[in-house]
Amino acid sequence: MSDVIAVSIWRGRGEGRYVDYEVPRLDSQTVLDVVTYVQRHLDPTLSYRFACRVGVCGSCAMTVNGRPRWTCRTHVEKVVADGRVEIGPLANLPVVKDLATDMTRFFEKWQQAKGAFTPSKTRHDKVAHIMPASPARVEVDKAIECINCGVCYAACDSVRWNPDYLGPAALNRAWTLVNDERDAGNKARLAAVAAAGGCHSCHTHQSCEQHCPQAINPTASIAGLKQRTLGAYWSGALT
Amino acid sequence: MIEDRQTDILILGSGGAGLFAALHVHQANAGLDITVASKGLLGKSGCTRMVQGGYNVALHKGDSVERHFMDTIEGGKWLPNQQLAWTLVTKAIERVQELENEIGCFFDRLPDGTLHGKAFAGQTFDRTVHKGDLTGIEIINRLMEQVWARPIKRLEEYRALALIPDATGKAVAGVLFLDMRSGQFCYVAAKAVLLATGGGPTMYRYHTPSGDKSVDGLAMALRFGLPLRDMEMVQFHPTGVLAGRNTRMTGTIIEEGLRGVGGYLLNGAKERFMFAYDERGERATRDIVSRSMFAEMRAGRTTPQGGLYISMGHLGPENVRRQFKGMVERCADCGFDLAGGLVEVVPTAHYLMGGVVCNVDTSTEVAGLYVAGEDAGGVHGANRLGGNGVANSTVFGGIAGETMSTDIAKGLDRRSKDAQALAAEVARAEMPFARKAGDLNGLRERLLDLMWEDVGIIRDEPGLNRALDALAQLEDELLATGVADSNRAFNLTWSDWLNLRSQIDISKVFAHAALKRENSRGAHFRSDFPDPGDLATSRFTIVRQRDRRLEVSDAPVEFTIVKPGQTLLKGQEAAE
Repeated sequence: MSDVIAVSIWRGRGEGRYVDYEVPRLDSQTVLDVVTYVQRHLDPTLSYRFACRVGVCGSCAMTVNGRPRWTCRTHVEKVVADGRVEIGPLANLPVVKDLATDMTRFFEKWQQAKGAFTPSKTRHDKVAHIMPASPARVEVDKAIECINCGVCYAACDSVRWNPDYLGPAALNRAWTLVNDERDAGNKARLAAVAAAGGCHSCHTHQSCEQHCPQAINPTASIAGLKQRTLGAYWSGALT
Repeated sequence: MIEDRQTDILILGSGGAGLFAALHVHQANAGLDITVASKGLLGKSGCTRMVQGGYNVALHKGDSVERHFMDTIEGGKWLPNQQLAWTLVTKAIERVQELENEIGCFFDRLPDGTLHGKAFAGQTFDRTVHKGDLTGIEIINRLMEQVWARPIKRLEEYRALALIPDATGKAVAGVLFLDMRSGQFCYVAAKAVLLATGGGPTMYRYHTPSGDKSVDGLAMALRFGLPLRDMEMVQFHPTGVLAGRNTRMTGTIIEEGLRGVGGYLLNGAKERFMFAYDERGERATRDIVSRSMFAEMRAGRTTPQGGLYISMGHLGPENVRRQFKGMVERCADCGFDLAGGLVEVVPTAHYLMGGVVCNVDTSTEVAGLYVAGEDAGGVHGANRLGGNGVANSTVFGGIAGETMSTDIAKGLDRRSKDAQALAAEVARAEMPFARKAGDLNGLRERLLDLMWEDVGIIRDEPGLNRALDALAQLEDELLATGVADSNRAFNLTWSDWLNLRSQIDISKVFAHAALKRENSRGAHFRSDFPDPGDLATSRFTIVRQRDRRLEVSDAPVEFTIVKPGQTLLKGQEAAE
């Protein structure tokens, strides 16, 4: 095993190119550590985004050897192929510089999908009784731990083909709210996710499920929304 | 060229404190122009998101705010500001209800549908409300969504560089920023500014907070002349991952609950050692376990990398995997088997109890400046209870929002800036471009080691003086070390330089405060003064900067609600 890794990193904004670096192999080294090494020791102008360093903030996702991943939780040994690793910005998002993307559109779509809770009670009321084993709550629990890292969005063919498609993360969030019996906004939410670019634009390629680092299955959430919106349509609730 | 902007309310930081403040301002007066500035993406930088444990709140049957208060005061070794602590415990109830009912957080329930409260060290009641072991994600995601859904302006990847005074020097006029993406400066004038950047002791060799943090808020407050209290109180968490110097993962938390359920700590010889230090063994409080581990390490009984082990296998790897899924996966990503094997751990710097002196309504001695969350001091005293951190940021962030909008309604207005002060701060930030580029990372490594060795878990006078000398030397070297001026856009190396400057400024404050406290309380331990001192005459330290010099003093703790030896609990309750 060679004691260096041949690293190829995207440099630039809209236009740019991959630049090669040699980084020493070190113990317990993650892809984020490789990127950090380049910035600290080889090229001080390399730009990237990170924060928590343990898979909680979803700031450091990048394309690693063609796959979107959290770089902080990806051991470099797992992804090095023939002693090489290629690191680029996430796909389907504009590049700010080098490895950092602009996630604004991703979060705008989260809002478009009505991904914010609509209250039915106030801070002066008691907290609702929700049975943890109730089917709706179980559905919420399956999908709730999304950290909005954008990995599914970058992996999604439907987003690539249709820039107006809301994408897996936003729709997954909508699904948790559709199953939240405390929420008062589901009529508008179902209408929003049934509209053009909503859940019916998903082609069920399941890339989101394959790539989600939290092991969430947005495809299943979207399938739930498809069913629920059709039900609402036939019952006349979506007019 | 400095871009000029203005707003009504400028919030620095987008954690629990900053986002709650924004929402509460908007509720109080939707006509106010609100701007939230963050060093990273909104809600994604900082530490609220990283909360694992949960949120302490006295709303379970059999609990009481008095009990939560007494736990907080006793945990804080009688140093907390009692008015702040009382506000924390009483307001937490409404805040949790707001989080559930209005913000949309979905905390875990008991089988009967009511909120689950889990046990947490140092508390006499199981009151910690949570969402699995990723409570912070639930809280911050829901807050982010609510902020995004409102007309609240965002300045993302805007690094705050300095609080800029008005001509009198007694009020804040606005904030100088670096727009990190463009590399340009920006000045934002505001009627009210909230400092809510979060603390984070990232200047220690091993630390838990988000890697982008560098005590910028405290450094700005210090430079402005604000008093900082309790700055010797740095909380260490007993178990951080030890994976070597070359990974950012080192220092990050391995959950406290592992010891709670019966996990073992082993030394390099794979023997348990905690019972040699405390009869509660691994289940002793954070400060005692950290100190015992540090003593074991200093005695040389360490693992190959100089740490200790945590071992869970005797509880059944399947059980561990099921109960601590997140932690087991995180360790596996590092190449460690937490469920069945040994994982190397080390105590790790976690939280700053100290911060800016403030009032219960979050106002400070500077007009127009408010403070909330980890940047504020006085709530936790000498030690913070697990679960009181996110309670603190959300309770006081919300209060800050209400106070700022009320003060504006009463006439608080924008003030014109001291242009000279602004120019001086721009020059300060540009300083590295006029110097030859050098080994910034080498300076950072030295800072981490010296703080760990001499201002860390066990302190004494010679060590603290040695640290102050070394910090002065490091500062000189930093000021002589530059950054290449080839491209300022999204320049993380420039950020590294600025981070180091903030960290060195505040590290000095830690060392001075630690020298001042000649006793051992909570997180602060002096081997040359190991006794806690008389509780009834407790004092808290204050450090402030005047004319570029640090002034160190102390003041008596006012026992406005309860005195040492007394309790608010009555009869049966007190006996439990």
